[in-house]
Amino acid sequence: MARSLFNRKKQNTQASQNKQQPQAAAGKNITKNLDSNLEEIKKLLGNPSDLVTRELMIGGLETRAAIIYINGLTDKDLINDNILKTIQLNMKQFESNVLEKIYQEVIAITDIKKSTTMDEVSSAILNGSTAFYLDEMDTVLLMGTSGGETRSIEEPSTESLIRGPKDGFVESIETNIALIRRDIRDPNLRFKQHEVGKRSKQKLVVSYVEGIVNQEIVDEIDRRLKTIDVDIVADSAYVEQWIEDSFLSIFPQIANTERPDRVSTALTQGKVAILVEGTPFVLLAPTALSETLQSMEDYNQRWVAATLQRTLRYFSAFIAVFLPGLYIALVSYHPGMIPSTLVFSIAASREGVPFPAAVEAVLMAATFEILHEAGIRLPKVIGQTVGIVGGLVIGEAAVSAGIVSPIMVIVTALTAIATFSVPSYSIAITFRILRFSLMIAAALLGLYGIIIVYIMVNIHLVNMKSIGVPYTAPFAPSFVSDWRDLIIRAPITKLIQRPIYLKPTDEQSKDTKPE
Amino acid sequence: MRTFKYGDEQIRTRDIMIAVPSMLIAIGIIIFPRELADKTIAADGWVSILFGGMIAILAVWLVTKLAASFPNQSFLSYASYLVTKPVAIVITFLFSVQGILLSAFEVRAISDISHQYLFDQTPIEVVALSFLLVVVYAVSGSRAGLFRLNSMFLPIIFLITTLLVFFSIVFINTDHLLPVFKTDAQGYVQGTIESTISFSGVGIGIFFFYISLVKKPEKAPAMAAFGMSWVVGLYIVVYLTCIAVFGENTTANIRFPLIELAKTIEIPGGFFERLDSVFFVIWIMAIFNTTALAFDVSVMALNSIFPKVDKLKIIFVLSPIVFFLAMIPNTYLEIGLFGRYVSYFGWGFVGVILIILWVMFKIKGAKQNEK
Repeated sequence: MARSLFNRKKQNTQASQNKQQPQAAAGKNITKNLDSNLEEIKKLLGNPSDLVTRELMIGGLETRAAIIYINGLTDKDLINDNILKTIQLNMKQFESNVLEKIYQEVIAITDIKKSTTMDEVSSAILNGSTAFYLDEMDTVLLMGTSGGETRSIEEPSTESLIRGPKDGFVESIETNIALIRRDIRDPNLRFKQHEVGKRSKQKLVVSYVEGIVNQEIVDEIDRRLKTIDVDIVADSAYVEQWIEDSFLSIFPQIANTERPDRVSTALTQGKVAILVEGTPFVLLAPTALSETLQSMEDYNQRWVAATLQRTLRYFSAFIAVFLPGLYIALVSYHPGMIPSTLVFSIAASREGVPFPAAVEAVLMAATFEILHEAGIRLPKVIGQTVGIVGGLVIGEAAVSAGIVSPIMVIVTALTAIATFSVPSYSIAITFRILRFSLMIAAALLGLYGIIIVYIMVNIHLVNMKSIGVPYTAPFAPSFVSDWRDLIIRAPITKLIQRPIYLKPTDEQSKDTKPE
Repeated sequence: MRTFKYGDEQIRTRDIMIAVPSMLIAIGIIIFPRELADKTIAADGWVSILFGGMIAILAVWLVTKLAASFPNQSFLSYASYLVTKPVAIVITFLFSVQGILLSAFEVRAISDISHQYLFDQTPIEVVALSFLLVVVYAVSGSRAGLFRLNSMFLPIIFLITTLLVFFSIVFINTDHLLPVFKTDAQGYVQGTIESTISFSGVGIGIFFFYISLVKKPEKAPAMAAFGMSWVVGLYIVVYLTCIAVFGENTTANIRFPLIELAKTIEIPGGFFERLDSVFFVIWIMAIFNTTALAFDVSVMALNSIFPKVDKLKIIFVLSPIVFFLAMIPNTYLEIGLFGRYVSYFGWGFVGVILIILWVMFKIKGAKQNEK
């Protein structure tokens, strides 16, 4: 299945490379006539209302010229001060090669290049550059003036920490790159640029630290990125779903984060980060299942606290997945396993409940899922109402109406809380799916069903890869030295080795030679 | 996206070390205290286990040593070199049969025990089929994945056994362990045979095949023997605990002493009573490991005879056979007999093959790796 998908992708990319984009002025060159050039570029872009064309005379020369840019994508002050003003106030006399002189002496912008084709000019304008046309010249100056309104750096809303850096990624890829650069001042830090989106032409940057990362991983990611064939990448999730190893799996195979500190740490461990323009979510690959239960907070607390927190998370992941299933199995198949006093109180609380335990549990779990979904989509103001209604429905009404037992309410609530304590949202979704399959299995075959599903999930996991790296590492294949940072978070002084399951080129993160 | 081979499918020697206990810990350890207690007096059975274990360790070492002398060669290729190709094909085929028989026995035993401890109304066929399907799913995946499964489940098995023994301490009656060394020589011999059989020779044979997947098998024999010693240690601890808690006579008459042990103990905290179901359910993982490896070896053996046939096709042909074989015995006595025959066949076969191959190996010597 996965192979056939891959073949499909390959064919698609070949197909799209073969057919030329049917566009009016594609491949045309700039002519020597200013008016026709301006006409041409307007026609190409459909003469949009936000396209600004300013014709002017160069000071000191009686030559016509024009600048074109798109309002909103550009930094207006920059255009006014460093382009328009300098050109208009120019008092030098140029005899020949006017464009070259302007390029070298007049314009006060660092990012500037020449171009002779319409394609380049139009895409540069759409990227926020300003184009400078000079009459009787077939060359255009493209000046990097991109700017405009962007969101400022804020605290990330999805991964909040008690202690740790407060900055988060934003939608601008340049800012995001700068945020990573501020953390890692290593000259080996690489940012390899790709372009994704047939229509959106977004920047996509693959970042890694050369000398740490395993080059094979980078090459593989590059190869997979080249197969992407979509119109627009609205979020890095598009990229994630396109390049992941197994699209049939319910497990997330690539991590995402809004935190620059997490990206920097991962880069220095030998991972690869993928930044996409227009989204604050940065992808991290390869990843392993164990990492979904880790948080940056673990490194910011002292090691005993961090270890206990991690143990707690494993415990709550267990509850989130297994508790309703276990409840069904115990109540309907193995009541003998519950101590007699407890079994009496469960039986008493289930008195009058018309449904079998399985139906009761599915009912409550489904109610919870609906509430959860409703709470996410609604505006914050109404969201509180949902909370109250849900609390009442789950906590009070259902019990007093005799539809579910109070024990079931406890089970559902405990499961819900446990699900929320899982740090990664994508794995929490997986856990929710697993929970339902375990409930069905428990309803059919009791504890035996639960273990059968558990074994099946394990079989699936051991066959899974994240960019070629086993997903269950470092548990299996076991890399014992990586266990220092698994459930136990060993003291920072002991974490001198990079995770070897990533097969980094340079394994030691510190110089351990005795001084 | 299977084109990428960064996460290599090679098996490391450490995986072999884990595979040995994974393969050998299964149904046997649940039943054997009964058989052994029948033959020996008080706690003397541990001597038999030790002797039997030594034989098993030696056997494992011999198997892996022989296989490791032909690094990266399939069993069929080095067996053909040692005992001509037709004979090698017959042996390989018999290994496949043995794997099928063992899988069938495990599948049947698991449904039978589930029937006793988990649910008595669900048809045995449903339990057996669901288990078999999961095994088929595992075997259809990558072979390295199977070894990863081993290393994920084995710690849980050891953990649960340790907990079991730990919580049994309260119920131990030291009088049951006495008197020491009162068994006569015949009893020891019988006990040794009993425990050797329990260390299922069937399981040892699989390493003829798996060593060929190990990249650098020089250390494999030592690792495998080390892995085997864990099994022996586990057997001794389990046996002593059973005897100490139940006494010799009771143990000899309980059908599944280890599971009954789980029934006896109490975990403080008052959340669970009667841990036998939980214990057995977790033990299913151990039985699963064994069944999956046995089934996989059958597939591997047949695949080496018919290299052009797709692995999945072999699996789909074999699984109905396993299922029907598992359904043949009617009573639990017949299941016991079935298990016994499987074990006798296993030991006899592996023993004979081992001797033949080693003799030929000594005569012909190791051939240089062809690859």
